[in-house]
Amino acid sequence: MSDPYKPSLVSSGLLAALLLAPLAQAAPDSDKPFAEHKVVLQISDDDPFKQTLVLNVANNLVRHYGADKVDIEVVAFGPGLRLLFAENANGARIHSLAESSGVRFSACENTIAAMTRQLEYAPGINADATRVPAGIVRILDLTGEGYRLVKP
Amino acid sequence: MSKSIRRILGAGIALALLVGTSAQAANWLALQGNEVPGAAERANVWGFVQPEFQYTEGMELKAGPFAGQPAAFNMIAPDQDSNSSFNLRRARIGVRGTGFPLDSKVNYFLLLEAGNNGITRNGSGSVRLTDASVTLNHLKGARIRIGQFKYPGSEEGLMAIHVFDYINFTSVTDQLMLERFLDSDGSVASVGANGPNGSVGAFRDIGVQVYDWFDTGNWEHSYAAMVGNGNGIARGDNNSDKDLYLYWASERVFGGQGPRRQGWKLYGWHQQGKRTLATGTSQATADFDRKRWGLGTTFRKDKYRVGAEYIRADGMIFNGTDGGVVAGTLNNAGTAVASFNMLPEDEADGWYLDFGYLLLPKLELDIRYDRLNRATKTAAEERRFGTLTLGAQYALNKKTRAILNYEIRDAEAPRLADSAVPNRILDGMDDRISLQLLAVF
Repeated sequence: MSDPYKPSLVSSGLLAALLLAPLAQAAPDSDKPFAEHKVVLQISDDDPFKQTLVLNVANNLVRHYGADKVDIEVVAFGPGLRLLFAENANGARIHSLAESSGVRFSACENTIAAMTRQLEYAPGINADATRVPAGIVRILDLTGEGYRLVKP
Repeated sequence: MSKSIRRILGAGIALALLVGTSAQAANWLALQGNEVPGAAERANVWGFVQPEFQYTEGMELKAGPFAGQPAAFNMIAPDQDSNSSFNLRRARIGVRGTGFPLDSKVNYFLLLEAGNNGITRNGSGSVRLTDASVTLNHLKGARIRIGQFKYPGSEEGLMAIHVFDYINFTSVTDQLMLERFLDSDGSVASVGANGPNGSVGAFRDIGVQVYDWFDTGNWEHSYAAMVGNGNGIARGDNNSDKDLYLYWASERVFGGQGPRRQGWKLYGWHQQGKRTLATGTSQATADFDRKRWGLGTTFRKDKYRVGAEYIRADGMIFNGTDGGVVAGTLNNAGTAVASFNMLPEDEADGWYLDFGYLLLPKLELDIRYDRLNRATKTAAEERRFGTLTLGAQYALNKKTRAILNYEIRDAEAPRLADSAVPNRILDGMDDRISLQLLAVF
């Protein structure tokens, strides 16, 4: 007979899941256990050319190392958040990189809040993007985990 | 080259073009005045310059009241002071963008012209505003553009001019679509020449346009409906009637993007409005219908491009100058000054076939035949223009190219005797050589 006060495996699992849930919502962990290279790409410029460039860099890294061997996260904040607007013309490329190459896209919630105040409505965010509390914090967290920061 | 040989050559080229394929398969409604959502700049400064040189032999008029004087059709426009001239055909600078980059739904487009052409030559001042529009993208399926911009119409007029494959327009576009605004029909010889009262229309109008485009599989369908003044650029209307413009295009898209997207496009358009003109011996002022419509196709794939269009015109037919001389010239008898003329109730039609082949990565060879049948309701006034243009374009880089054109030009009054004065005058139409450098920035 089991001890009713002893945490079961199920309840322990639930507790762990609940504890980890906020982290998982903030940004997905890498699902690339065989990745030999970890890169975080920063986009914070208003320049449309930079939007194309950062996607080109992500694509080139995947082509060179292979999707399983390189772990890429694009973090957008400040004016660069426009890359992850739902209406952005690069939506198809973003979806392709996320879907077929496992590239992650993170959208800064601080910037979303600031842009909401300017626009007077909340901008639509790309469905392939994950919201993170602060883009710059996300970059620091990733670099702390061994990701190399590249700002094309 | 004799007329018969030219006709045979022209017919041969026309047949070859029909069998082959044609020009730009691009969506001009989408490319001009619309910004890329979420990726447009607040202010994107851009423009282009087109310096050029044109030459004819400068044959003088062989007959008529101005015999011996320079023929307008052999002088280099817009000045018409010489049969060979360097000219700055176009020099345009503009700004386009979203203004407030966070909101892609509002776009603007501003463009100034500082070159020497029909826009600046006949207007007040040497710099003219050609485009100034605001586009609202709030309604799905019904974008709205307000201001001064290119109206829906013929391919040569609607296309972006800096990707035009030739230097001069076809005769049908030049004379039926590139509108000259006159106060009088020119039927009364006056002391002063009856000249344009402003810039040429430049394929633009001031008004409001509703339009959009839709994808259905590999096909893209576009529509546009516009209401405008019908009185040219940078000025208000001069009558209470408004012009109506309608346009439809369906394009099978093969790939690529921008003005040289690969695809096969079918399109049709219609324009109608009224023009105020003083006519006849009394020079009484009245409003006359001006209607234009056309059907066309373009095709671009790999190294080939083909274009064909048929255009009809009913009313307000531009009829050149008295005796084919440069407007403003005094006749040999010293009794009248040559004017521009308009036939407000006549008709015309025309067509062109255009073929391009990318011989080398940077070298394209072009050939085009165009025909204009002007004033077809009036035997004495009817004129037929046929031009075979041989061209080459060499791209120095993606934004700079040199264009060389040789135009074999022919014109006649088909319902008059060969010995009639108009035919003797038109026999003197020279071929024309043009060289242009185009740089986009």
